[in-house]
Amino acid sequence: MTPLTAAATPDRRPTHGSRVGLLPSVESWLAAASHHGELFAQLDTGVRIALLARAAPERMLVWEAGHAGVDARIEPFAGYAASAADMVLAADDASLAELRSAAAGRLFEVLRAGIRSGRIVCYTLRRRCVLEERGLDELLDALGYAFMGACR
Amino acid sequence: MQPGIAKLPHLFQPGRFGRFEIKNRIKYGACCVSNYNTRDGFITEREIARMRVIARTGCGIITNQGAYPDPLGEGKAYFRQVAIFDDKFLPQLERIAADIKAQGAMPIQQILHAGRYGGIDLGYCIQPSDVPQTLPHFRPPKVMTKDEIRDCVRQHADAARRAVRAGFDGTEVTSFMGYLLANFNSRFTNQRTDEYGGSIENRGRFMRELIDGIKQATPENPLVVRLNGAELMDRWGGNTEDECFELMRQAVDVGVDMISVTVGWQEAPESSIGRDIPPGYWNYLSARAKKLFPDTLVTFGNRLPDPRMADDCVRDGVFDYWEVCRPLLADPDLIHKAAEDRLDEVRRCIGSLNCLSRLFRDLPYTCTMNPALGHEVEPEYQVTPATVKKKVMVIGAGPAGMECAITAAKRGHDVTVFDKAGRIGGNLYAYATNDLARPDDLLSVVAHYEVVARKLGIDVRLNTEVHAKFMRSVLHQYDVCVIAAGATLDRKRYAHVKGAERMLDGLEVAHGRGQTGRRVVIVGGGKLGLTLAESLCKHQGAEVTVIESDKRIAGDVKPSFKWRHASWVEELGIKCLTSSTIVEVGADGVRVRNAKGEETFLAADTVVQADGATPAHPLFHEFEWMVDELHGVGDALIPRGLEQAIQDGFRLGVRL
Repeated sequence: MTPLTAAATPDRRPTHGSRVGLLPSVESWLAAASHHGELFAQLDTGVRIALLARAAPERMLVWEAGHAGVDARIEPFAGYAASAADMVLAADDASLAELRSAAAGRLFEVLRAGIRSGRIVCYTLRRRCVLEERGLDELLDALGYAFMGACR
Repeated sequence: MQPGIAKLPHLFQPGRFGRFEIKNRIKYGACCVSNYNTRDGFITEREIARMRVIARTGCGIITNQGAYPDPLGEGKAYFRQVAIFDDKFLPQLERIAADIKAQGAMPIQQILHAGRYGGIDLGYCIQPSDVPQTLPHFRPPKVMTKDEIRDCVRQHADAARRAVRAGFDGTEVTSFMGYLLANFNSRFTNQRTDEYGGSIENRGRFMRELIDGIKQATPENPLVVRLNGAELMDRWGGNTEDECFELMRQAVDVGVDMISVTVGWQEAPESSIGRDIPPGYWNYLSARAKKLFPDTLVTFGNRLPDPRMADDCVRDGVFDYWEVCRPLLADPDLIHKAAEDRLDEVRRCIGSLNCLSRLFRDLPYTCTMNPALGHEVEPEYQVTPATVKKKVMVIGAGPAGMECAITAAKRGHDVTVFDKAGRIGGNLYAYATNDLARPDDLLSVVAHYEVVARKLGIDVRLNTEVHAKFMRSVLHQYDVCVIAAGATLDRKRYAHVKGAERMLDGLEVAHGRGQTGRRVVIVGGGKLGLTLAESLCKHQGAEVTVIESDKRIAGDVKPSFKWRHASWVEELGIKCLTSSTIVEVGADGVRVRNAKGEETFLAADTVVQADGATPAHPLFHEFEWMVDELHGVGDALIPRGLEQAIQDGFRLGVRL
């Protein structure tokens, strides 16, 4: 079980730069994780979910599950493999704007709709069985993975 | 001339492919692999038997399923996919090529390097760039070096040479549906900065080298390339349709002999070949290819199951060859029936995608409509004359009962079918009439049974309910009784719920025998509940809420169709309360309790029970001392679905 915490971490950085400004704030991202606590409750320590701007993926906003709870922070994006993320959500500018205003409320509804419409690409960097073992089952469901699947 | 050929003159006219004469304009497309082979790529007797059936379909060109060309298996997409990276695979490939030629068809071997969807036995897949998967079924990417690209081209050329040595007259490379070739072509997966990436010219370089390599290796043998007319990936940054056609132009310019136009990627966020796509929907892509490249042969068949439509397309210059696969899995006699003007007897592919969805569970493919597919080598699945002719009564004219009746009648048994309803089809008919995808597909199954039963002289007695009294009246008249009465809903399931008697029976509502109001609560978010919810919402404008006790809806829905229900539910604004149960049904609504024990009241004019499917076991107990042989099939035994009903019915029919 991963308790949620809003405690600041030393490596959390302020949002800055031309594109990074489009990302939701670290505080709102933490609050969103807290608001949807049931989706994050089962995450293994070390699970990372990143959000970045598709048009200019320089920085990423990361949820990371730790011993003390889910933390949020901005980190440089140095490529998918280097991101050490389990999942990366790459959103277009319009989706990022929607996410910023939805962070406090209907965030997963907006994420799900964005993924379905193709405005947010949801990359999975681990196989489904691994994601489920790492406690991402509920989160995958909330992101609308029932919509996904080969052969349609 | 056979009567059907005169009606489909364009489809049955001879053609030419390279130096080869082709007897008609039909190409069997290797649209999916069978997963019938060994784990290390050898073709099995099961596969050879299946291909022998395909060889006899009457197609002018027959493509053998995709074989991976590399020894590491980076190109291997499927658990039991055929390999072609070594001469050790030649003996079985030779048998398949010979079987196809023996039937007067041109054999083509497809080379399938799955790229992004490959490496099934490895911990990675290879791609032009580091673009992670969007479907977590597949492996993480490893970027190809230029040396690896050159090796890969050489492996394809070697594979083509080997295929020709095995007796195949031509080869095919495929990008469908998002394989390695597509990964290089697409902007989504090709983000290289060297000469293989960036501009469309550069992205197409791998394809051009591949075509050139294969053409040099097998200069006397024509080459087909399967290319997307639409990737359906453009919203994720993939190619536009214009770019797809520009890539086709590149293929034409370097001398490809035939273009097979395809649609979609495995991970595309929209449908391409499912039941919700109307037949003919994608024809415009093929027409565009033919118009742009009039001197290059074009073949096409995505979601085009009807030979009459295909004949029109050949006539109108939409394509040169009809590329057909799944309709021939459903009915290997499709072309012969078309030639004999017996199209009403065709067992149509209903686009359930059962075949393809099983591949991603590492299972051999099966066909909802054709229970014998994959069992061609087993005598137990052959329809052979019965040693002892019997009088068979079948109770229930749904898919299980009709399948059993038809199979038994073909074997020479004297079959009578009884059904309490006024028509053939059972609960399938109810599903079909409420289906939002394409009711015609499901109704075609019913129509098939009606036609074939009539032609076989099966005595179908409708509006006749079989119960103990009736059975006593026909005592000793039948040797065999098959209970195929389908499932009913267990109306005692909610006996503990106050007011449960107010609930309508979901099957009755689906059959059109229950009047629902404007606000409807449906109890049960499985196949029946969702189908009803969608239909009531769409066709009657009802406000529908679904109550499901499980954590998720669509628990009994086929994996390839779950997404479709999830999507409709969202589009239609159907509210789903999961992990919830009903507590009380009143005149003006229901009280519902969620997993936390919280209760809410939902206003409703009608409450429908759509769960608790229960088999017809009481009939077994009632009839077991009344007839020599008593059997059960389909939902009457265990409520499941259409595929299992058809399989059950057939398997019993061949052994009675």
